[in-house]
Amino acid sequence: MRTLLVIQATIAGLALPLFLHSQGVVSSVPVGGTPTVSAKDAARPAPRLPDGKPDLSGPWDGCWKTAPGQGCFGGGTNNDMEADIGMKPGELDTVLQPWARELRHSRKEKDEPYVGCLPMGVPRINPYPTRIVESYTDKGMSHIFILHETGDAGAHRQVFMDGRKHPDDNDLFPSWFGHSIGWWDGDTLVVDTVGYNDKFWLDGKGTPHTEQMHTIERYTRPNFGTLRLDFTLDDPGAFTRPLEVTFTFKLMRPGLEMMEFICLEDNEYGGASGLTPADESGNKEKAGPKR
Amino acid sequence: MKAKVGALMAVVLGLSYLTVPVIAHHGFDTEYDPSKKVSLTGVVTKVSWLNPHMRVYIDVTDKNGVVTNWNLELTSPNSVRRQGWGKNDLLPGDKVNFEATPGKLVANRGALSSISKVGENRRLFVRGGPEAEQEGSVK
Repeated sequence: MRTLLVIQATIAGLALPLFLHSQGVVSSVPVGGTPTVSAKDAARPAPRLPDGKPDLSGPWDGCWKTAPGQGCFGGGTNNDMEADIGMKPGELDTVLQPWARELRHSRKEKDEPYVGCLPMGVPRINPYPTRIVESYTDKGMSHIFILHETGDAGAHRQVFMDGRKHPDDNDLFPSWFGHSIGWWDGDTLVVDTVGYNDKFWLDGKGTPHTEQMHTIERYTRPNFGTLRLDFTLDDPGAFTRPLEVTFTFKLMRPGLEMMEFICLEDNEYGGASGLTPADESGNKEKAGPKR
Repeated sequence: MKAKVGALMAVVLGLSYLTVPVIAHHGFDTEYDPSKKVSLTGVVTKVSWLNPHMRVYIDVTDKNGVVTNWNLELTSPNSVRRQGWGKNDLLPGDKVNFEATPGKLVANRGALSSISKVGENRRLFVRGGPEAEQEGSVK
């Protein structure tokens, strides 16, 4: 039996600044966060597409909750999976296989693939918006594309809605976003994904997973302003049991859209910059500015 | 941009009550020293609205006439734009007061925590956009 680890994100958070520190929230801050619809608008009924399916388009803000020293979260994991899914300190260690626990604690944040502009994987999220594109052919809804603003660092997720199955093992090559098939369970979009690679981290802390990871996402839009994601992570290679978590996205304010995000164009932490992050080795030669 | 990096005379302030941003793309403490903070005046040389994080470059001249070009990181330019800020809100040549957290290894490659134009009581790039209620300005 699966143990439920549920975050019920029910309250539209106050506009807490994204600029935080482990010492606590500060009051005067530079910009951060994405404006979302008012609580009044959010409570309106969820719209439907012409064929009656729920309109899940968004764009959605998955990073509307904040906590000291943690960054923002809400629609997925971000800097610290343990806190982002509502676990108590130390609780995540209890559901990780010993090798995974050890790896998580040995990893350094500067080494995470995302810092080098590689994809974040699933269910990782960060302050950038998400849009869900429900795509049709003359035969009906054929694909759903889950877009994330991190662009090359996020790529697009392709969900096959045409009834096909996952490929057999010979054709299933491990990838950053795996192979996703989807279907409707009433008004719930179900996305089933296998074939993930083990390269991405589940959070900035280095929580690992294996190629055995299987995720099931159940998306619903309970009202105009909310996208609910009931997320199951099943990876017997790294975890001792499946995790079930509820994430919540908020609808962005009308007029705001996703924008272009080319991570490598000025990443001073990735390989393209010739720089490496500061670290305890004190390698100043590599860390100097090139400008 | 051509850097004019000279001897660094940073004004290091107190250790508490710091305004420290969480950098979305990477960990703040990985790059910057949250125990330090500088408060300086300089001239903007470049505003880089590029991904993954925008940057403001500022020439600061010390009492000996040595110019240091500060490379200061903000968050995603997209996030800043969605709050209502635009490319004309800060331009090269603008004289600014700013506060920043220095880099751990290269001090003048820091994180920008506050910036305003000299003579204007308005903090730039804050949440809420240009019309946001200001809580005072950088001195």
